[in-house]
Amino acid sequence: MSLRALSLVQEKYPDAFVEQYTDRTGGAWGVLKAESLRPVLAHVKDDPQLDFKLFLSIDAVDRLQLPDNDPRFEVVYFLYSVTHHEHLRLKVRVGEATPEVPSVTSIFQGANWWERFVWDFYGIRFSGHPDLRRILMYEEFEGHPLRKDYPLRERQPLIPERPIRDIFRGPGTSGTA
Amino acid sequence: MAHADEREIEEPPPDEDSELEAHLQTKRMMINLGPSHPAMHGTVRMKVELEGETIVHADLEIGFLHRGFQKSCENVTWNQCLPYTDRLNYVSAIMNNLGFLKAVEKLVGLEIPERAQYIRVAASELHRMHDHLTCVGAIGLELGGFSAFLYAIEGRELIMDRVSELTGARLTTTFGRVGGLNRDLPDGWVDRVYRTLDKIHELLGEVDGLLTNNRIFVDRMRGTGVITAQDALDFGFTGPCLRANGINYDVRKASPYWVYDRMNFDVPIGENGDNYDRYLMRMEELKQSEAIVRQSLKEAPPGPIIVDDWRIALPPKAEVYGTIEGVIAHFKLVMEGVPVPPGEVYDCTEAANGELGWYLVSDGSGRPYKVHVRAPGFAILSGVPRMIEGKMLADLIPTFDTINMIGGEVEQ
Amino acid sequence: MSESDRKKPSGDAQPSPPGAPTVHPAAGTGPTPTNPPPSPTASGPRAGIEHQPPAAKPPIPPPTPGGKPTPKHPGFVTVTVDGKELVAKPGENMIDAVKKVGSDIPYYCYHHRLSIAANCRMCLVEVSNSPKLVPACQTPMAEGMVIHTNSPRVQEMQRAVMEFLLLNHPVDCAICDQAGECKLEDYYQRHDYRSSRLEGEKLMRAKRKVLGPTVVLDQERCVQCTRCVRFMAEVAREPQLGMFGRGSAEYIDTFPGKQLDSNYSGNTVDICPVGALLNRDFRFRARSWFLSAAPSVCTGCSRGCSTFVDFMGQDMYRYRPRENEQINKSWMCDQGRLSYKYVNQHRVAAVMLGRGEDRREATVPEALRSVAEQFKALAGTEGLAVLASPVASNEDLLATLSFARDALGVRSVFVSGRPGGAGDHYLMTPDKNPNRRGLEWIARGLDLALKPFSELAQAINSGKVKALYAIGGEVPVDPSLVAQGFARLEYLVLQASNESAITAQAQVLLPAAVHVEDEGTFTNLDGITQRFRRAYPPRADVKPHWAWAVALAREFGFPWAHASARDVFREWGPRVAELASFDWDGAAPPVKIARGLNPLPTAADGRPPGYREFGPPRDRGI
Repeated sequence: MSLRALSLVQEKYPDAFVEQYTDRTGGAWGVLKAESLRPVLAHVKDDPQLDFKLFLSIDAVDRLQLPDNDPRFEVVYFLYSVTHHEHLRLKVRVGEATPEVPSVTSIFQGANWWERFVWDFYGIRFSGHPDLRRILMYEEFEGHPLRKDYPLRERQPLIPERPIRDIFRGPGTSGTA
Repeated sequence: MAHADEREIEEPPPDEDSELEAHLQTKRMMINLGPSHPAMHGTVRMKVELEGETIVHADLEIGFLHRGFQKSCENVTWNQCLPYTDRLNYVSAIMNNLGFLKAVEKLVGLEIPERAQYIRVAASELHRMHDHLTCVGAIGLELGGFSAFLYAIEGRELIMDRVSELTGARLTTTFGRVGGLNRDLPDGWVDRVYRTLDKIHELLGEVDGLLTNNRIFVDRMRGTGVITAQDALDFGFTGPCLRANGINYDVRKASPYWVYDRMNFDVPIGENGDNYDRYLMRMEELKQSEAIVRQSLKEAPPGPIIVDDWRIALPPKAEVYGTIEGVIAHFKLVMEGVPVPPGEVYDCTEAANGELGWYLVSDGSGRPYKVHVRAPGFAILSGVPRMIEGKMLADLIPTFDTINMIGGEVEQ
Repeated sequence: MSESDRKKPSGDAQPSPPGAPTVHPAAGTGPTPTNPPPSPTASGPRAGIEHQPPAAKPPIPPPTPGGKPTPKHPGFVTVTVDGKELVAKPGENMIDAVKKVGSDIPYYCYHHRLSIAANCRMCLVEVSNSPKLVPACQTPMAEGMVIHTNSPRVQEMQRAVMEFLLLNHPVDCAICDQAGECKLEDYYQRHDYRSSRLEGEKLMRAKRKVLGPTVVLDQERCVQCTRCVRFMAEVAREPQLGMFGRGSAEYIDTFPGKQLDSNYSGNTVDICPVGALLNRDFRFRARSWFLSAAPSVCTGCSRGCSTFVDFMGQDMYRYRPRENEQINKSWMCDQGRLSYKYVNQHRVAAVMLGRGEDRREATVPEALRSVAEQFKALAGTEGLAVLASPVASNEDLLATLSFARDALGVRSVFVSGRPGGAGDHYLMTPDKNPNRRGLEWIARGLDLALKPFSELAQAINSGKVKALYAIGGEVPVDPSLVAQGFARLEYLVLQASNESAITAQAQVLLPAAVHVEDEGTFTNLDGITQRFRRAYPPRADVKPHWAWAVALAREFGFPWAHASARDVFREWGPRVAELASFDWDGAAPPVKIARGLNPLPTAADGRPPGYREFGPPRDRGI
């Protein structure tokens, strides 16, 4: 299905892929190098033969407890082409020491929140992201919960209340409560 | 967010002679539509910076309903994930359940019995109607049309009655198991569903009459919350919100699953990508879903509802209590879970809000290694600031309504 | 008594008598058989029932001239297993060898340390030099043999064997302890996942028959694999079990009027693949899938058998032996198995100050200050003595004895420990302390003299010793007598893990952790040092002995900052000649903690729902 798409990308960017494989359900995957992520995604979006304009999602997998767990993380990208009716599945393998991947927010606006999600839960930075902060957890949260070494029943320290500035109550009054 | 709160608010000039002499100041106002708010469906915090009535900047903060769906799923067996999936899009729980099961069955490589497929289609569409009725009713409610809301809720209650007869619960259904279904249709249920659909048809007529050509409704909805097709695709819009932009993408038609390829139904496509079109999408999809439910229940063949393989499906209770083979299979399935072979899969279904994608990774044990749910609401919600920045505050409300953001699926 | 009865058991079965098939070197092979292949059509009582027809017979290699093919790798046997080449040592059993290429042959009666019975027929595989399926445990591998462990014929045979085994098996999973660790369950789900075709009654035999102090037998669940019989005869050298009856009326039992009271009877529970032989102590106590397992060492005697600690939350449920070729092979003695009880029962829970009526709970800093005050005055004098127990781990002893030497200025240490007992012919030693060797080595390395407990008793009675710093509350004589003696002491600081008459006499009682609650090493009587892993953290104020020593040393002004047993070993281990070359990290058991399922959350009183027990496990009846 998306083997066609992968082979088209392979022609244009022969060095972009570390490997391509088909998973046991028949889905075709392309494993990219981190530095070729941006050019490849820009290409698949703009090229009319590929036309993967619908940005579905980004997520990450922590392979710590799987047999081959080096590099530790895999960041997976899912896109869809409405004109060609194809899904595209890409992944980038990231090591634990420097978990960093180029951000694709400049190419797909929708990637913004998904990359924040991956940062929040896995601790993988996205370089070039305009506003990389936690999205579902609160800012003072310690750790990255979906990592496999984060215990299920971990406790967090109690944090003090945040100071809140009061709203403007009219001319002649000052802004602070 | 800490830094947003501390953004500087201009100090007013010192008080001159009296208030009467003072300049009329306009300054940006920060309004907090804050997680506990009747118009924020679910717990979403929106900090809007207003210049008069115009929204200059909107900052969405989510995460108040995050319950650790993925981490919880990694700790239980595959079938035990189903109650967690209920609580994602809690308004159309069956669609979450069955979507998840479809992905697991694809990873195992299972073919489910035909009767199970028909019933899955019928139940999914029934819950799609449930979701759309809630959405349409809420649109009416928040624009001031309380009666429309009540009609829609009555329709929803009827569906909930049918669903509770089918699954045992009104809201969190946990319907289906890996390999098929856990229960068959109750006696007389199909006739009751037909009568329910007739009644809902009536109620929809009422809602339609109250809202669709209502001057105030149209004025508030038409032309507001507009997003271009390019932006919609960019943000990852799917479902009615994407089709309102004129893009024809419905998973049921693009890659049909179960028995959708045998169902006669159309997919409504809009034009303008504004709130009114999104509302019309849902109204029309309600009618189409009604047709699908009728057809699939009529055509459902008799037969088994779950695969006949004790590595996947629980043995019948008579065997569990009576034979050693049954009790061993039962123990293994309940304690260790369905043995899904190691691998990964990305699979999707058309949920009420759009493409509900599942990325599952299995390590060969009976417990999931990773369950990623591509919630359609998450992507659509990320596009909301784009839709309302530069528009009026009053447009925010219908926009939030028509995108049908369900907190559970956005925040897992 | 024959020669073999007097020989010390090796932990492996004694070698088979000459002439048995397993003795033949695997490089030899006979001529290929010429019998015609079996007819593929079904016939007989099974006709009409759907089953896989046997696949076409695999090709038989033509007989080479001379009868023996030349080995591909000289000195080894080269065979093909499921399409992959396997190079095995001659005499290696096929079941063990095929694991190297990732194939898995199911079995019940085979055990790599016992003789071969080949009666379960579960390990039947297809081989190229036989038209029938052969048992993998009994068939020597021949050069060039082609083995299929997964062909349709083999699968059908595995399914059929499972069906036969389950015909008479009682519907007991709900009440059987073996659920979750049961081979029958595992192989059923893998090889035969179909419903029962039995139409009559199942055979009924004795249920829950008490065989001895440790083992209870359920004859209905037995699959007659005879592992227990072979174990008792070959490894434990006490043939107390036997197979009686014939055909389908066979059953395992003890001899009339005799019991299964060997000190190794608990191992029959481990090797029983089903829930026929069960441990009376563990019966109905916990479900195996909730138990987590940590690799550890038994502290019952100075043999130091490698074990697994099965625990749930912060309670320990049982010991299971861990494979250790050097020390205990795959076995443990019953006394050692039951020696876990002190980990749960009568633990010292809180820091206590004062004797008798003044006794009260105190905070850790209070207690440390009190100790520092009293001991600073007496440091270096004859009046202050140190008592060390060889139950403490090497790290505990390194830190506490270094503290004793540097801060308290003692030159000699008295040795306490558990009282001696009986030994036996195989694993159990009369010395019931796990770390006596370690204590001796450490004392020598730290330049401290070791003196027996009797000398301490004399010194206290004569009034020479007024204050005592005791590491570990185990004493080699009756504790109540010792308590009387300790009552004469002016100041007793005791770091103990379990309550006893002695702990009541301590002015300062510091709760100590046991070995399951900390990392560390023990040195057994043969001088083998073993690492053990921590199972669960200790409760409340309980700390390991070394942590107390570090805290006390800080009170005395020493800048000790050791935060783990590893730091302690790094610091003082090199001073001990024998431990200097020990690789602390590398010697850790490779198997890490295997987590059990998270059990249901506990109720408000700490009791997990669904269990009749609450709190730590207690002694039960049957």
